[in-house]
Formats: sequence, structure tokens, C-alpha cells
Amino acid sequence: MVKNLKSIIIIAMIALVTISGATSCKSSGKMTRKEYKAKVEQATKDLNAILNDETSWSLEEQLDRVNEIKKVDFSKKNPEIVEMIDRAEAKIAREMEERDRLAEIQRLEEEQRLREMAEQNQANRGIADLLNLIANAKDVNAANSYIKEALQLFESPDAVVLIRLNNYGDYDRPTTAVNYLNYLKDQKKVTVNVDNIKYNAENKITELELIKK
Amino acid sequence: MKKVLFAIAFAFFALTGYQAFAQEPELSPERKQAIDSLALEKVRDLSKYVKLIGSKNTPWSEANRVIDRAEELFAPDAEIGVSSLSKTKIEYYKVRKYLERLMRLNYDRVEIDWYKIQYVSDLQRQPDGTYVGVITIFQTFKGYDAEGRLVYQDTTKKDITVYVKRKETQIGGRLIGFWDVLLGDMRVKETTHK
Repeated sequence: MVKNLKSIIIIAMIALVTISGATSCKSSGKMTRKEYKAKVEQATKDLNAILNDETSWSLEEQLDRVNEIKKVDFSKKNPEIVEMIDRAEAKIAREMEERDRLAEIQRLEEEQRLREMAEQNQANRGIADLLNLIANAKDVNAANSYIKEALQLFESPDAVVLIRLNNYGDYDRPTTAVNYLNYLKDQKKVTVNVDNIKYNAENKITELELIKK
Repeated sequence: MKKVLFAIAFAFFALTGYQAFAQEPELSPERKQAIDSLALEKVRDLSKYVKLIGSKNTPWSEANRVIDRAEELFAPDAEIGVSSLSKTKIEYYKVRKYLERLMRLNYDRVEIDWYKIQYVSDLQRQPDGTYVGVITIFQTFKGYDAEGRLVYQDTTKKDITVYVKRKETQIGGRLIGFWDVLLGDMRVKETTHK
């Protein structure tokens, strides 16, 4: 009886070791043929989608997926998947580079747009400020210095200056930049606001429209 | 027959006259106010120019430039009257000549001020569409010698006729309608000691 019991225990232990050994093999990464086949199918499907632009994943998500696929060694049984991985990686790298290049162009264009806007605002502030500075200059020399500075903002000293009297289309006699700036120096007062400014391609004022306060 | 011709002529002139008025409708009060103010402003501008030209502190080149600007305010043949307490006759000079004389007055220091600048006759529309009015000014003149003594002083009342005409010009492909203000003769009305 005891002998039989010992045999039963030994058989049970062998069975236990055998079963636990099989379980540990499975959890340590080895996969069944069925699982491997499923991985091959999924990898092929995903890589094809990436290569044929049939996925809505972002480039980062595509790269993550390729890296996930690479964790399985397909080189022995499915070298075509390794080749697809290489092509997918190259494609993603190319597209990332192109995307970054376009983003850089866009960033530079935006910077340029903001810079031009700032320059234009600077010019707007500049001419309005200079009109006041000329009118309130402490002497003729100071006023002439401001006039010289203001004329730098214009396309030419003869650029048109319009003075609108009201909103009914009534204007004062049109004048030129140099004459109007000197007028401010002589009269020592500014009775207008800057209403509209037209610029040429070099961002110089071609026409200054003022409106009576 | 004469009566018929007269009636036809009358009808023609009445019609063309009516058309001239009809082409430019009466200005709204806001627009009329704008040209009233514009004409008054031109006279005030002239007062600054006269002060600058007369001042011995104004550099010669600046005074000449201001003469050009001041001359532009006037109609081509306008004249300016000059009076003196020592003379009964009022002399009239073309604008440029008057301004050049003003620049060379034989004093070491000159002070000229205009005040009470106002309409004595409002701008009235004429048949040709020009608005004509009269603005009066009072001018005080003080001349000093090298020692800073006041050697001459008077106050003169002057009337300036102003003409305001609507004109149009093309600027940058846009038709701009503007009011051209021109000053006419500046007549001396009276001169007193103060």
C-alpha cells in the first residue's frame, strides 16, 4: 500500500513538473504555430496598410507599430516581412523628414508674416508719432531732423498726402509728404488722425490719408 | 418779334442757369460746416506764416520756403494792403512782393499777431458753384530797435475774401473730390495806434 502510494506521488510529481514546464515555455515568449501565423497575418496587413497609405495612423503611431512588429523574429520563416519592415521604416523616415521640412517652411512663413505685420504696425505708429514730434519740436533743427526721419518712411518726398474733411467724400487740396511735414513744422499743431496708409513692395508709404479730428 | 426773341433768350438763360445749379446740389449743413472751417483754417495758417516770415529769428532759407507756402494760399493776382500810422494812403502789393517786404522790414525784432479771425460774410454759393465769403482779422504789429525799444506799433483790421471751389483729381486710380480754398485780396479796413 505504501509502495503504491509512493508510486502515485512520484507520478503526480512528474506530471506536475511536466505541466508546469509546458506552461513556463508558453509565458517566456515561445508561441504556437497558430499564434505565429496570426502574427504574420497581422504584421503583413499592417505593413501593407503603412506602405500603401491606407492607414489613418499618425507617423509616430506607424513607427510604434513597426517597432512592435520588429519584436517578433520573422527573418527565418518570413523574410518578406523583414523586407516590408525595412521599406516601411524608410517610408516613415522620409515622410517625417518631409513633414518636418514643410513645418519649418510654414514656421518661417509665419515668422515672416508676423515680422511684416510688426513692421507695418511699427510704420503706422512711426508716422503718427513723427507727425506729433514734428509739430511739437522744440526748434526748427529738431523739427527738420524729425522730417528727415519721417521722409524715410515714404516712397518719395512727393508721395501723396490726402486730408479727408468728413465722411462725405470731401477732401482738402491734395499735397505731398514733404510739404505736409513742413506744414506741421510751421503750424506747430496736428489736427488730423492717420486714417489709411498705402505701401509699395518695399513697405514704403506711397499714399497717406489723414482725417480731420 | 422782339418780345418772342427776348422770351426765348430769357428761357434759355433761365434753363442753363437752373442746370448749373442743378448739377451741384445744395450742401448739407455738415458739409457746409466742413468747408467753412477749412477756409477759416487757411486764414489761421496764413497768420502763422506771416508771423514766421516777419520774425527775425526765422532762418532765411526757412522764411523763403514759408513765403512759397503762403503764396500758394492766394489766388494768382491777389493783393495785400499795407497801412501805416504815418501815411494816409494804403499801398497794395502783390502777395509775393508783400511777403518779401515783410521778411526785410527794417526792425531788429518784429512781432506780428492775428486775432479775432472770423467770418464777416458767410460763404455764399455763386452761380458758377464757387463759394465766396469774407473773413476779417485784426493784426497787431510791433517793431523793436537794436536796444529792444518798441519803436512802432499799430493794430490793423483787414478783410480777406475767400473763394472755395469744388475740384476733382485722379489719384492712384481714384477720383478725389476736394475743396480748393484760395484767398483773394486782403483789404485794410482801419488802422489804429493799439
